[in-house]
Amino acid sequence: MSAIILKQVGKTYANGFKALNGIDLTIEQGQFVVVLGPSGAGKSTLLRVINAMDPANSGEVTVDGELVQGRNLRKIRARIGMVFQHFNLVDRLNVMTNVLTGRLAYRHWLGSLLQLFPKSDFELAEAALAEVGLVDKAWQRADQLSGGQQQRVAIARALTQQPRVILADEPVASLDPKSSEDVLALLKKICVEKNITVIANLHQIEFAKIYADRIVALNAGRVVFDGPPDDLTDHRLNQIYGLDAKESQHDRDELALADA
Amino acid sequence: MSIDQALPAKPRSWLPLWLSLLLALLYVIAVDLELDGEALLYGLEDMAGYFARFGSPDFSNLSSYLQLLAQTLAIAVWGSVLALIAAVMIAPFAAITISPNALTYRLARELLNFMRAMPDLLLALLFVAALGLGPMPGVLALAVHTAGFLGKFFAESMERVPAGRYEAMASVGAGFTQTLIFAVWPSMLREAIGNTLYIFDRNVRMAAVLGLVGAGGIGLELHDTLRLFRYDQSSALIMVMLITIIAIDQLSTWIRKKLT
Amino acid sequence: MTAMNWRWPTPDGRLPSAVPLAVISAVLVLAASAWLIEVSPVRLWQAGPRLIAFAGHLFTTPDWAYVPRLAEKMLETIEMTVLATFLALLLAFPLGVLAAHNASPHPIIFQMARTLLSSIRALPDMVVALLFVSALGLGALPGILALALVTVGFMGKFIAEAIEVVGTRSIEGLSAAGAGRWQRIQYAMLPQAMPDFIGSLLYILDHNLRAAAVLGLVGAGGIGYDLVMAMRLFDYGRISLIALSIYIVVTLLDRMSAWLRGRVLGRRVNVH
Repeated sequence: MSAIILKQVGKTYANGFKALNGIDLTIEQGQFVVVLGPSGAGKSTLLRVINAMDPANSGEVTVDGELVQGRNLRKIRARIGMVFQHFNLVDRLNVMTNVLTGRLAYRHWLGSLLQLFPKSDFELAEAALAEVGLVDKAWQRADQLSGGQQQRVAIARALTQQPRVILADEPVASLDPKSSEDVLALLKKICVEKNITVIANLHQIEFAKIYADRIVALNAGRVVFDGPPDDLTDHRLNQIYGLDAKESQHDRDELALADA
Repeated sequence: MSIDQALPAKPRSWLPLWLSLLLALLYVIAVDLELDGEALLYGLEDMAGYFARFGSPDFSNLSSYLQLLAQTLAIAVWGSVLALIAAVMIAPFAAITISPNALTYRLARELLNFMRAMPDLLLALLFVAALGLGPMPGVLALAVHTAGFLGKFFAESMERVPAGRYEAMASVGAGFTQTLIFAVWPSMLREAIGNTLYIFDRNVRMAAVLGLVGAGGIGLELHDTLRLFRYDQSSALIMVMLITIIAIDQLSTWIRKKLT
Repeated sequence: MTAMNWRWPTPDGRLPSAVPLAVISAVLVLAASAWLIEVSPVRLWQAGPRLIAFAGHLFTTPDWAYVPRLAEKMLETIEMTVLATFLALLLAFPLGVLAAHNASPHPIIFQMARTLLSSIRALPDMVVALLFVSALGLGALPGILALALVTVGFMGKFIAEAIEVVGTRSIEGLSAAGAGRWQRIQYAMLPQAMPDFIGSLLYILDHNLRAAAVLGLVGAGGIGYDLVMAMRLFDYGRISLIALSIYIVVTLLDRMSAWLRGRVLGRRVNVH
């Protein structure tokens, strides 16, 4: 069964901006998909309609055979982990608590009032922290960690959900090149070892080529390329985005390498 | 080297105008209130003589004063606690970033404004009229009035929580209460405690005074002693009140320093 | 607790020991206080219906004949507020400057000013009003003086704090150019402290309006006196009018000061 199916999905924001325009996409379980595109192309929106953070206006989104709609949101979101550009951890809480919040969909609010969790949740959280290599930081406050470490905590939080899908919205945009590679390698490892579908927004084409099984390129809310990384030649890129886009991406990559 | 351009004209300063208007306003008010400069001077002379009579405080009833003082503190404690409970429950709805919809937001905000608007002394009067003399009306008056303030402070703190944290909670499928417990309250706890202490401090001060309208505590005693021209006892009472207020003031400042 | 299924997210699964201690002490304090405020199940049970009955009475026909006097008294209340606040400003300004550690001429003066302001702040305004009424008789004057005196305490503190948080860079700049103490105060500290101070001024006006409304309780002018009288006589037609007008005026002032604050603070250029 396909993990995620988008059928003619459209999304227009309240200010009239049309972010997605009739997207059709089918993603198999366990794929590592990278979404590319310039700013405003709809990359974030594409991810966010999947777990209805920004619900689609038209069309259908199906996750694991279930239609994404208001009623079953909590259930669907429990199975989808999300990683954000700015990590979105709660600074004052320790790493373990942050990771444990991944289990909240499964917990009744009464127990949550006192911030209590069952032993099984702790075991899941510990396993997740081991997976991302941060077990020794479990009791430190989240804001005492570096950017790369915080993003790994965020990934651990997503893992604790025992998700079928992980959506990564510009996961490395705020990280230095070394941490970026660590995070992407980690996501790839999780994808391969646990058969979790990963959909990541990136603007570094080179990263996409290294890690992706499949690249989906967007422009102005439409899919303009959908295929394996090898097919995304420089020639194709020129076709899709025009020379300017390729050159500026090249400049960006050079800058990134120079900073390393 | 000569200056080729003429300086732009210096902008008209409105300050002298505002200042004169203000002074004129104050003068008009003084006239309207029939304030008499002479009466003031005589009055000041009278006051000097009057206050001299407070020179020898009489502490003979100290034990009963201390009991009344304890009651006053108790009024402040319960008034603050009830205010805290009400504020905690209402504030999330009065924070535009968390409130479920625009209507609840408006309602909650208006409710808090309404609670704040009535001076607590007036509320105490109303409650005394409704419930009779005693400390209860004082507790209720303080609770209602300060709940309005505390609720507004809390709501404003909540609005300053970074939006990304809400998104993270939404993405893991957390419910409303869970979001509050794990993302909102940890982020604003320091501020919230500072605000609560500030309100408690203020309530001690107010509780002392509420007695003047029959709402129990030491204020009632002061009212009586002044009426009976018992200056020696009055000054003893005032001293007891002042010392307590200053002590609580220092205590809460110290606690707040320790938190930051 | 660790043996049980549920744990807290701490290294040992328990809460830090301070927490249960704090909870127990809080419960004890609450229980003792409850006893002190003579809470009884009977009174609590009766309270609800009595409040509702009282509220019901408030919905009687308003005493329209009272409106002119009401307006007069409300105006008096507002005037008292304004006068008292600006009177306080006269005293609070120099005191505030003296109580700011970066503007005060001498540490001893600084300490004295600080202590003076704290002591004034400890005075409850009603008590001071009561004293002034006893000394000067009934009327608006004691109310204004009392309010002004109490306000000096808060205003002085706000001014001092606003001056103290002024960025040091601008002050250093002026020092380097050879500016003297008072020049530094006038050209660096005061202009930058202004927006903060105006915000506090609005807040103080707001607070003083409420205070002025109640000062009448003890005969110090304003609408409070009428309210007490109306309560004594159970004149619900008046009580509701007075309460309503107080609410309206206070809310209006609230909105106005929020708007003003937005305009003043919005224009502020951050030079830190």
